[in-house]
Amino acid sequence: MIRYIIRRLLISIPILLVGTFLSFVLVASLGDPLSELRAKPGVTEADVQALAQSLGVDKPILVRYWDWLTSFVQGDWGTSVALGQARADVYTVVTDALWVTAQLVIFAQLLALVLGVAVGVLAAVRQYSIFDYTATSLAFLAFSMPVFCVAIILKSYGIQFNNLLTSMGADRWLTTAGPPTGGFSGGFGEVIFKYSGTFLLPTLSLMLISFAAYSRFQRASMLETLHSDYVRTARAKGLSQGRVIFRHAFRNALIPVVTLAALNVGQVFTGAIMTEQVFGWNGMGSVLVSAVRQYDPNMLMGWLVVVAISVVVFNLVADVLYAYLDPRIRLG
Amino acid sequence: MRRTKFVSAVALVSGAALALSACGGGGGSGTGGDADVAAMAVAKGENEKELTYTSPDGLSSAGTISVSTDKPFTSYNNETADANNSYNTFILTPVLAATYKVDGNQKVILNKDVVESVEVATNPQKVTYKLKKGLTWSDGAPWGCKDFYLTWLSRSGKSKKADGSSYFLPASTSGYEKIAELACPDPQTVVTTYAENYPDYKGLFGGGDTGPLPAHIVEKQAGIPDLLKVTPTDAASLEKIATFWNTGWKGFTKDLMPASGPYMITDWKQNQSITLERNPKWPGPKGGPDKIVVKSVPDSVAQAQALENGENQILASMQPDANAADRLRNLNSQGVKYGSEQGLTFEHLDLNFRNPLLSDKEVRKAFFMAVNRKDITDKLVGPVVKDAKPMGSLIFYPGEDGYQDHYSDKSKGSADEAKKILEAAGWKLGGDGVYAKDGQRLSLKVSHTDIPRRKKTVEILMGQAKAAGIEVKDDTDPNFLDGRVDKGDYDIALFAWSGAPFKADKKPIYHSAGTQNWQKVVSPAADAALDKAVTQTDPAAAIPLYKEADKALSEEYASLPLFQTPNMWAFKGVDRVWHQSYFGALWNANEWQKTS
Amino acid sequence: MADVTTPTTPGPRPASATAAGRAGSGHEFDSAKTRTQGQIVLRRFLRHRLAMTSFAVLVLLVLFAFAGPLFWSFSYEDSSSGSYLAPSGAHPLGTTEVGKDMLALLMRGTQYSIEIALVVSLLATAMGVVLGALAGYLRGFVDATVMRLVDLLLILPYIAVAAIIIRTVSGSWYMVALVLALFHWMQIARITRAETLSLAQREFVEAARACGAGTWRIIFKHLVPNMIGSITVNATLTVATAVLAEAGLSFIGLGVQLPDTSLGVIVSENYPQVVQRPWLFWGPFLVIVLISLTINFIGDGLRDAFDPRQTKVRA
Repeated sequence: MIRYIIRRLLISIPILLVGTFLSFVLVASLGDPLSELRAKPGVTEADVQALAQSLGVDKPILVRYWDWLTSFVQGDWGTSVALGQARADVYTVVTDALWVTAQLVIFAQLLALVLGVAVGVLAAVRQYSIFDYTATSLAFLAFSMPVFCVAIILKSYGIQFNNLLTSMGADRWLTTAGPPTGGFSGGFGEVIFKYSGTFLLPTLSLMLISFAAYSRFQRASMLETLHSDYVRTARAKGLSQGRVIFRHAFRNALIPVVTLAALNVGQVFTGAIMTEQVFGWNGMGSVLVSAVRQYDPNMLMGWLVVVAISVVVFNLVADVLYAYLDPRIRLG
Repeated sequence: MRRTKFVSAVALVSGAALALSACGGGGGSGTGGDADVAAMAVAKGENEKELTYTSPDGLSSAGTISVSTDKPFTSYNNETADANNSYNTFILTPVLAATYKVDGNQKVILNKDVVESVEVATNPQKVTYKLKKGLTWSDGAPWGCKDFYLTWLSRSGKSKKADGSSYFLPASTSGYEKIAELACPDPQTVVTTYAENYPDYKGLFGGGDTGPLPAHIVEKQAGIPDLLKVTPTDAASLEKIATFWNTGWKGFTKDLMPASGPYMITDWKQNQSITLERNPKWPGPKGGPDKIVVKSVPDSVAQAQALENGENQILASMQPDANAADRLRNLNSQGVKYGSEQGLTFEHLDLNFRNPLLSDKEVRKAFFMAVNRKDITDKLVGPVVKDAKPMGSLIFYPGEDGYQDHYSDKSKGSADEAKKILEAAGWKLGGDGVYAKDGQRLSLKVSHTDIPRRKKTVEILMGQAKAAGIEVKDDTDPNFLDGRVDKGDYDIALFAWSGAPFKADKKPIYHSAGTQNWQKVVSPAADAALDKAVTQTDPAAAIPLYKEADKALSEEYASLPLFQTPNMWAFKGVDRVWHQSYFGALWNANEWQKTS
Repeated sequence: MADVTTPTTPGPRPASATAAGRAGSGHEFDSAKTRTQGQIVLRRFLRHRLAMTSFAVLVLLVLFAFAGPLFWSFSYEDSSSGSYLAPSGAHPLGTTEVGKDMLALLMRGTQYSIEIALVVSLLATAMGVVLGALAGYLRGFVDATVMRLVDLLLILPYIAVAAIIIRTVSGSWYMVALVLALFHWMQIARITRAETLSLAQREFVEAARACGAGTWRIIFKHLVPNMIGSITVNATLTVATAVLAEAGLSFIGLGVQLPDTSLGVIVSENYPQVVQRPWLFWGPFLVIVLISLTINFIGDGLRDAFDPRQTKVRA
């Protein structure tokens, strides 16, 4: 198993190289981060050149990629080359942003998984019941809505909800712009109040689509196992309904959902980027967008590497989980 | 326009100064906001007659005030070319003390909190600043002439390496390069001697940029015992100083970033928010906010919602959006006050004289006539600034002495008149609804970078031109400003000149031999007037000459100014806020008081 | 990715006995049998009321988008109307900031969104099925290569690649569709591969191989028909996913660029009006949801129709 994991990680290195190389070349060859400087009255070409030289963006692209790669290998992620960014340290910017986005992803995923599995199992066990129909309809509705639209709607009504709270004499609870400020200051109650108010809307928006997918997936896979021979056999043996469902069907039905959840992290991450934009959480989304807009390959590389490593890790987790849960698959 | 949040407009600001003429004037006249907001352009502590500022007494504490703006703060040293942007100026204005302040009406006022007096002698021009005694940085080190010396050393462009390149990489040397010598007879006296007359001296050392940076920090970090002994030829020391100055103030290290103004930076979460707290060493009266948190919220609609939701008390956006403006106006009943102004940047269409179609003046005339600038301005700026008007000059902003509308009669948005001009010049309307002459269809591309507002401009333009039998195609190219515009690789260019601070900067753009005259406009009359104007020493004497050039240029039908880009702000629970078009909303933050 | 039958579960072989039982048994690979099964699937689908209703709604939407402009008095190019006019007889959905008729825009946007989604689905399914089946059947080197390709594309987040390509190459609708297709085949490939892995162990495949059938024949004659259910369902669902993915990309400004447009572009330009001028937001929003929802229901109907163990047709 360890050998398998190491091999998988090693395999991903060349993939990563190809990916970063393509992105670097594309971004660096197609735009000059300093171009806006030219639209400033009185700026001469010499001024632009001096800055380009100092930032190292005057060199050929291959040299720049090589420079980036060699320093990256030594742990130096480089600095931004975009105008107005003051050579911001890529590592700091990207890891800070990752943490902002990760908070959203983690909360949303956990919530989605727990709720999704519960609803899915119930819906499968009570197939064609009112509950099943309601869950099915809601799930369909949820994943037919773009994440950002859900966020937009929740946000607009969140503000109205706050107005309602104040009209009843309470404090405003839900916030709409940015992660909590001020850290963990204040009493326990205050912190809970603040954090829940800040996290509720974005988490809810982001959770909805995964929740829908997991509940559907769990339902389908549960139905599949419920219809399988061994479950029929277990029933035939006279085992209780609960025991059949949980010992035989549920465990096996969980495999695909858990795997999906690990694989799905990438997608949820994409959703988080949208949610983040609506709620002003300057996380990975805003870093990506400004890096691409400003032709900042250094920042983009840091971004890609961080995301790529996360995806590699989660894919690996999915495979290992799959092998662990399903004895028919062996990793080697 | 929602996507303005991703606009790459770095909002470059010129390092030195606005057009700082003592008589005031200037671009941003506060319009379109709530009536009582207009009066807020003047600071409480301002003496309008003497043009001085002293922090007002008797203010009570205003607690914590939360402010939102579009982009994050990026650097304590905003004067380097890679850091320079308006959002840094926004934050640093109350942090670094300056010799002059500029109020909401663009009036330049002497900052009496830190400066005793300023004397100006002529032949050669010599400006002597008498600073107040006992002023210190927030870390206790004295604030004085040495800090001014650092500014001059780093930004005069005089510190050159052997190969002629500069040690320092300043965003701009404008103005400072004219100071031949800066002397410190004592720590509270700064004597600047100019090589040639420079009427805009008030823009230096904080009047048009951020105030002087801490020299004692540089001394310590670069290992220089006495900065005053370092001359622009002292290679070894300069190398060390420049290395720190160029890159040393990166990121956030509280100890390296003291304040000389009323507020100091106490916390900074990159890309998210920055926290300012009252500087305990500030000599002025205490009062105003104890703490100011400035958050970066890229979407101005999200900013408006956060204000509505009570998360922030002040919103200040330099990338305003019609939707957000609309929303904010509708919050009036909830006690939200709204202000807006047209800023010091203007969008324009440059017609390329190299283009065979556009080299024909009649075609240029017809194109000008077909464009309905009022419609464009109404749709794109009108929602933010209620009575926004199209810009009528390439050199002056409305409100400045010398401003005259040269374009309204040339660009009426009349398809009929445009068609008449074309037909008189021998163009025939083709079956496809587009004019043609000698087998050449009248089809033009408008090139621009992919800023949403520009796309919308072209979108509207296309319809207007089509009505006049001119085909306009959209050419969105993110690289347009890089390697294309300066080579003249376009038919019509749509971009903005960002806040031309000095009229002298207009010469390279519109003079036939100018280095930034990319469209190759040639107007002998304008050339003559511009040549004369830049050699004047008295700004008042230059105005008629610039006016002359402005008029001559308009008669060439070369560049069609569209509108000034707007700024907007809104606030609730604070008594008096004005978003200064260059320095942002915090220029008088020390005066803010809470209202219920 | 949404609603997929689990691939590796043992159990009654797909497309066999129970439901199709009346048509006789034993001749697994008889072509006459296959046709009969197709008819059964079709009949099941036609009797699936929700799916059929969805299908009707979708057809109406398509008509609205593609035939609507012929009958509508405003062009999506016409920006001569006033800014933000309220809904009226002339402009049932009002006008936008630049003075365009929302209904005309909506038709145009729907056209683009549907085109993009169809292109994405077709390309992605074709790539995914071929590569997935090859990998699963041939294993070894081919499998490794395909899976590495999948890894590469999974490692590179599509949002970043799309952003880069669209920003630097072109933001036209087909470029967006291509990029999205490039990043939407992996799921289908993985599923196809997994199903192939399990199917390839079956006796009928071994039998076919023993009879000397070649790789392509086995894949297209034996494997793909046995997976046709999940392929069709996934292809259908990919259409829905693509509509949403396009909308998302366009929302953050990295998708379709003017002069092309799409529902995502329209929503992102008008969402701030959700409170003051709700029609500008809810119009395009509802169309997105409707397209996506109807397609999901159709996919669900197809899944039920393809599932031979399904004896009851749902309302």
